Amino acid sequence: MKPGTKLKSAVCDTEVMVIRSGTGGIECGGAAMGEAKPDAIGTPDTAFAAGTLMGKRYIDAAGTFELLCVKPGKGSLSVDGVALSIKDAKPLPASD
Amino acid sequence: MPRALTLPLAGWAEGELRAMGMPPALTGTMLMGERAALNGFAVPGAVSAGGGCRLYAARDGHVALALARDDDRAMLPALFQDGGIDPGDDAQILAAFLARDSAALVTQGRMLGLAIARLGEVPVSPPCQVTAEGPVKARTEPLLVIDLSALWAGPLATHLIGLTGAQVVKVESRNRPDRMREGDPALFARINQDKDNVALDLREETDREALIALIRRADVVVEAARPRALRQLGIHADALVRAVPGLVWMTITGHGATGDAGNWIGFGDDASVAGGLSDAIIAASGRVGFGGDACADPLTGIYAARLALDRVRDGRGARMILSMSAIVAMALDSERRRDEKALMTDLQAWGAAQGEVFPVTDMRPAGRVAAMGQDNDVWLAQC
Repeated sequence: MKPGTKLKSAVCDTEVMVIRSGTGGIECGGAAMGEAKPDAIGTPDTAFAAGTLMGKRYIDAAGTFELLCVKPGKGSLSVDGVALSIKDAKPLPASD
Repeated sequence: MPRALTLPLAGWAEGELRAMGMPPALTGTMLMGERAALNGFAVPGAVSAGGGCRLYAARDGHVALALARDDDRAMLPALFQDGGIDPGDDAQILAAFLARDSAALVTQGRMLGLAIARLGEVPVSPPCQVTAEGPVKARTEPLLVIDLSALWAGPLATHLIGLTGAQVVKVESRNRPDRMREGDPALFARINQDKDNVALDLREETDREALIALIRRADVVVEAARPRALRQLGIHADALVRAVPGLVWMTITGHGATGDAGNWIGFGDDASVAGGLSDAIIAASGRVGFGGDACADPLTGIYAARLALDRVRDGRGARMILSMSAIVAMALDSERRRDEKALMTDLQAWGAAQGEVFPVTDMRPAGRVAAMGQDNDVWLAQC
């Protein structure tokens, strides 16, 4: 998946921007995300329904995938069925 | 005799300081130029005085991008939508800007949380937007000011309010402290002098509750978080303003909170570009460059102090969301209406002086600086 690509959830309002990605399927609410919104919106799998937070960055354990939430929703993010976790906020600059 | 080099918009800052009744020794030029003087900065061209921001030529005009945070560069492949770009290679970055349109880059960059702006931009928010009003409080002296902000604009605002006799408590997050303490200790010691210091870990519920208890005692709160960041911590500024009599809450943002802008960030130099200052310098001098040193920061700090003090005197609480880019645009417009010819002469001289030393400013000594968390016992025990 190209960096900078915007992906939409098939089961909630979540939208993410791909910061970086490797091999694997990016999912929200347990369903594959895509560049287009499907006509019929499903419901999040209960195992992936913790929700996404605006402006938070989500990463996998290896740091291969990083997604930025640009629109929050009820589903939570995963890659090939493995949940992503929130990355700490960027430290402030030492001066601007 | 040629005119001395004037810091852009220092005249506006001077007018605000005098209207606030600040000591005459505290001048607009001093507050806007002290960081440059302390650090020996030169008049900036396409690289900002502090070096953290740069004007890049895009296909149709210039884009200002700050890469001041440690991992900002990791966002560049996503900014250019090209996984093949090496974010550490400045030549590749220059080429990538040249091949793209400025407006699309700014839209994408803001969605990615980068501090980015372009020439020809018009601020989307007003300089100050009041989003909530609160009940009246009969003031008791001294005022209590809680400063949750970091870097330059917010701390300068509370410093100025402190000079009127207010007690200022700087609250720092243990896991996200104000890095200016180490990054620029000389400026830190000027704009944070004589403040008490409380350190909290806002990831802990007890610390969040302690902060809210402290805020409930305050006359003024100054913070510079994105609105969603505080909401995600369970701190609801509008609700607190409606509940706590007389609470004046200043939120400093890059671009206000109109529409998507509440999610954008801005630092002093990119926000000055978004406010039109670099456009005005190009119009006057033909040179591409930044005006002053991160000038949206000191201008916003001064304006925030003035608005907060006006509101405190008024007695009614209010939540005010300030836009750094719109404050630059307002100051520029004000100077233009006051004397357009003089402004153009000053900006022409500024553009022509790129690379020369900054205009000389009167300096002031540093004051007492509190260590992180040294006053926790004083301010958290009473809650």
